[in-house]
Amino acid sequence: MKIISYFIIAFWAVYLMVLGVSFHSFFKDSSLEAFDWIDGGLLWFLVLDFVSRFMMQDTPAQNVKQYKLLNISSRFLFHVFLLRIGLQFYNLFWAFFFVPFGFLSVPQFYGFGGFAGFLLGWWLLFVLNSYWYLFWRTLMNRNLWWGFCPLLFYLLCLYLGFFYDNENQWLFDGSIHLMRGFCHWKAWCWLLLIGLITVMYAANYYLQKVAVYMEISRMEHVGTVKTRNMKFLDRYGVVGEYMKLEIKSMMRNLVIRKLFINGGLCMLMLCGLFSFSDIYDELPFMRVFICVYCFSCLGVMTLTTIMCAEGNYLDGLMVHKETILSLLKAKYYFQCAVLLIPVLFLLMPIGEGKMPVLTMLACAFFTSGVVFPFMFQLAVYNDSSIHLNKKLTRSGRNTKVQMLMSAAAMFLPMLIMYVLVEFFGETCAAIVMLTMGVIGTILHPLWLNNIYQRFMKRRYQNMDAFRNSR
Amino acid sequence: MNLTVENLTKEFKGKKVLDIPHYAVRSGEIIGLVGNNGAGKTTLFRVILDLLKADTGHVVISGVIDGREVSIDTSKNEAWKAYTGAFVDTGFLIDYLTPEEYFRFLAKVTGLTDSNLNERLKFFDQFMNGEVMGSNTLIRNLSMGNQQKVGIIGAMLHHPQLLILDEPFNFLDPTSQVSMKYLLEKYGKEYGSTIIVSSHNLTHTLDICSRITLLENGNVIKDYGRDYALLTSEIEGYFRSNVNI
Repeated sequence: MKIISYFIIAFWAVYLMVLGVSFHSFFKDSSLEAFDWIDGGLLWFLVLDFVSRFMMQDTPAQNVKQYKLLNISSRFLFHVFLLRIGLQFYNLFWAFFFVPFGFLSVPQFYGFGGFAGFLLGWWLLFVLNSYWYLFWRTLMNRNLWWGFCPLLFYLLCLYLGFFYDNENQWLFDGSIHLMRGFCHWKAWCWLLLIGLITVMYAANYYLQKVAVYMEISRMEHVGTVKTRNMKFLDRYGVVGEYMKLEIKSMMRNLVIRKLFINGGLCMLMLCGLFSFSDIYDELPFMRVFICVYCFSCLGVMTLTTIMCAEGNYLDGLMVHKETILSLLKAKYYFQCAVLLIPVLFLLMPIGEGKMPVLTMLACAFFTSGVVFPFMFQLAVYNDSSIHLNKKLTRSGRNTKVQMLMSAAAMFLPMLIMYVLVEFFGETCAAIVMLTMGVIGTILHPLWLNNIYQRFMKRRYQNMDAFRNSR
Repeated sequence: MNLTVENLTKEFKGKKVLDIPHYAVRSGEIIGLVGNNGAGKTTLFRVILDLLKADTGHVVISGVIDGREVSIDTSKNEAWKAYTGAFVDTGFLIDYLTPEEYFRFLAKVTGLTDSNLNERLKFFDQFMNGEVMGSNTLIRNLSMGNQQKVGIIGAMLHHPQLLILDEPFNFLDPTSQVSMKYLLEKYGKEYGSTIIVSSHNLTHTLDICSRITLLENGNVIKDYGRDYALLTSEIEGYFRSNVNI
């Protein structure tokens, strides 16, 4: 999981830098300056930043809990954690975009002092956004419905500011005005922003104080569940039973569910990028690249810890004959079934003529026939149980092999596609990928059996390690 | 099923935890493994069930199955798994299932139909005492006693010819302990299965077992037949000798 996070961070950092440079030239010939366009879309940046924080930011109430019994004042702890949130690296992450972009567009109008104001202004806006996010996130920890408040707020602002009246773009103009104020080092801008940060800081301080006691006194909710038979899977025999386990594990175990949700969000984000933007329409490599990741990101993220969940009850499985082979088959079929989700999403760009059907099929089969067999090798080497219902950060840290394999699963397809697309063109690349994928998919009983045999050879070592890591 | 252990040794970090030159269990016997903590009971079970690799020696399960004589080295062939049931600890439980789902899963894996399963679950009605099924609760949210019951029932569902239970009386309330004793005796008689249980509860073990094996530091110290008076005095005497009173 960690290596995937690092990869995603590195990917987005490079991506933002490239965007920063290209946006400058993109708006060169327009009536407004490039930085005005970006400044005018301030709220869009804040919305994006807000959404991305769901994957990156904890609430102090969760962190303070473990220090409560120590002889440290709560007030001090809250200030430390709140300041840490304001100063966290993530608030600087957008600098990968704003530094190159601002450097190319701001100094020629406002000098380097203005450039510094531009950067500082944006940073403080993201600091404000981190406290704004923290406020709602803490409330959402108590009740998910609180999530609708920021959602409504953003929807309302965006609608009234950008879509309600085309003649009066008050939000766009206001944002430009504010950001120009930062470039000119106007006192009112800074006072306004620092005042808002202070208000949000204070609001969070009092909210966290209440939240930590709620967190401490929180009882694990022992609810009832509906016994599910999923009879439609009965026709697949023992493999069907293991598929039921996969589905139930995803539904009922916090860690597994989180992995799927994160992977699913990545998948939907990439699909959305494809369907609703035309940035990549002229770049065949990027098109194939993003298409492959639409299909494979969820699989790579969830298969990195393949067998680690089963490590918790592997002894029980191993006293039954050939049970692991059925389990591997079930996992493969389940992952293949999940590939239907991006297929559905990609129908839109296909319908719009943005992408050929062949490319989509090639990417789907490349995932099921090349990426999956590669990731399934981890079933032989993974030997650390993950706690199914606790936070992933407290359990199941990635081993070196996991890190290596998941990094390779991310980068190797990119390399293969780059070579194929650049040297032979998109159609030829798609045909080669489709062929490789179909062969791998058809041969799945063979390679799954091979993985099973190798797993059985290493079984004592793995079972011992699984037992010790429970 | 017969079970034979030959030249079995196992070391952990240089310390010998199992050293059994020869040990045999005959078909239909109910064996009680007793010994203090660290005696090697659970390790022996894990080696028998091929969950742990022995440093030397082997375990052979043999007997007549479907009119055919079989003899299987447990580390070399998986066929014995069809005739064996076991519950060692909660690592055998798929704890995000409800008991009903878990039993259904085991039934499918061992080739039982739904009607077979329902029929077989009736055998455990008294043992479950209305606390295990029907509450739509995940196994991990059950009490330890009820988790223990789920594991034991899961091990017996497919009517194994060799049943291995590690500390089956643990976590059970007094009524369930009595019910457990009755269940094991009835199961042994009805299906002629070989049953091996380990326990720290000497009274229960002495009550149900036809043979008691005393383990210490991985060695079989003594094998007792079913002379209740002798067993009680000798075994209690053995454990009493470890305590300075």
